[in-house]
Amino acid sequence: MRVLLAVLAKDLRVEWRSRDRLSAMGVFAVLVVVIFQFAAPPGSAPETRGHLPGLLWVAWVFSAVLGLNRSFALELENDAWAGLALAPAERGWIYLGKALASLALLGAVQLVSALAFALAFDVPLSAVALPLAAVAALGAVGVTAIGTLFAAVAARTQYREVMLPLLLLPLLVPVLLGAVRATAALLAGEPLPWPPVRLLLVTDAVFLILSFVCFEYVLDE
Amino acid sequence: MSSLDRLAARAVRPTGVLLAVAAPVWLWLVAQAPLDSVQGVVQKIVYVHPPCAFAAYLGFACTAVGGALYLWRRDDAWDRFAASSAEVGVLFCALVIATGPLWARGTWGRWWSWDLRLTLTLLLFLVYLSYLLLRSFTEGSERTARFAAVYGIAGLAIVPLNYLAIELAGGRSIHPENLQRGSLAAGMRAPFWFGVLTALIAFAHLLARRLEVSWLAERASREAAAGEEALPWGT
Repeated sequence: MRVLLAVLAKDLRVEWRSRDRLSAMGVFAVLVVVIFQFAAPPGSAPETRGHLPGLLWVAWVFSAVLGLNRSFALELENDAWAGLALAPAERGWIYLGKALASLALLGAVQLVSALAFALAFDVPLSAVALPLAAVAALGAVGVTAIGTLFAAVAARTQYREVMLPLLLLPLLVPVLLGAVRATAALLAGEPLPWPPVRLLLVTDAVFLILSFVCFEYVLDE
Repeated sequence: MSSLDRLAARAVRPTGVLLAVAAPVWLWLVAQAPLDSVQGVVQKIVYVHPPCAFAAYLGFACTAVGGALYLWRRDDAWDRFAASSAEVGVLFCALVIATGPLWARGTWGRWWSWDLRLTLTLLLFLVYLSYLLLRSFTEGSERTARFAAVYGIAGLAIVPLNYLAIELAGGRSIHPENLQRGSLAAGMRAPFWFGVLTALIAFAHLLARRLEVSWLAERASREAAAGEEALPWGT
């Protein structure tokens, strides 16, 4: 548990001093939203409205991939990786520390890009802010839970940055589907539906347990 | 040579003979099977498409089990088993995904539908394609084995989640549940199950061959490494 806090504090401190992951992820997420504005028919058209929840989540998932790639690339510098691997601690806790740090960054990016999204497409988010934040958090937990595990894998392969989305995207289907469904219901002014939330909860739990157990085999020196 | 490699080497010939016998019999049975009164000749894909799906799912299950056994026992043979089953599984899955649309076009009138089983199979196919990419992009055999094992296990673990997800999306419609309902006509049942048997024999044969090749490749690289130190021909 102390290891978790130490890794989390270390990652957040590194991020606070450089702020490069945060700015890269944030700018990227906003860019996706802006680019979509040009790719789709004008924002107020009903067919565009239907795609908005999906767009929001695609922007979030892609910027999460961007950030997760850096999460372990960071450790390769100055061979900090070896330090992590040699730490006399259960590796699962190291994993949770890394995952929580990435989750915090993704949460901040989600907040900023949701505001940009609301402005760009004239979506009134304030009315559903609380349930939407809960859905965003549930989805983000799923993405970072499995993403942190495979970011550690991708960092030790050739073509690191290419490998992570290849590994991650096929596994993220349940998270994406549940999150997009729930978001769509909220944006349509409906109450939060239970089945997608249940799917998100189950997926988060499975991903967390799987990654906690498997991280031991991924972190090597 | 571990016992698994020995088993594979021994299985190559008998499974090959079995396959050589079973394949023509299966072809004959398919030719003999009655024509479907509604769908016509396109329905004969039933003797290819589901049997290949059985073999593909078996391959992916073997990959995950082989990976888990590797992480537990740390025996390279299990890693070779996992990698070989993934390759053979992807091959059969490609056949499933290639034959499915032909049938779908003939009976549903369109090539693809985002239905429960189609989507699940497509996602599995993509996961195990990524698995093979991961293997080829990782350096060092021990690291490759570990990474691939973790990914193979994750790939199987998401199957029930995908199942839930696609059900939620309302994608449970078109694909028939033939096996449960027993809706195959009497004359079609024997060729169908013989087709499944043939596909499983073909799976076993290909897997045994692939295992043999990967074992030989490993031995060759080990001997090459040893040969650099002491050349066998002297001087």
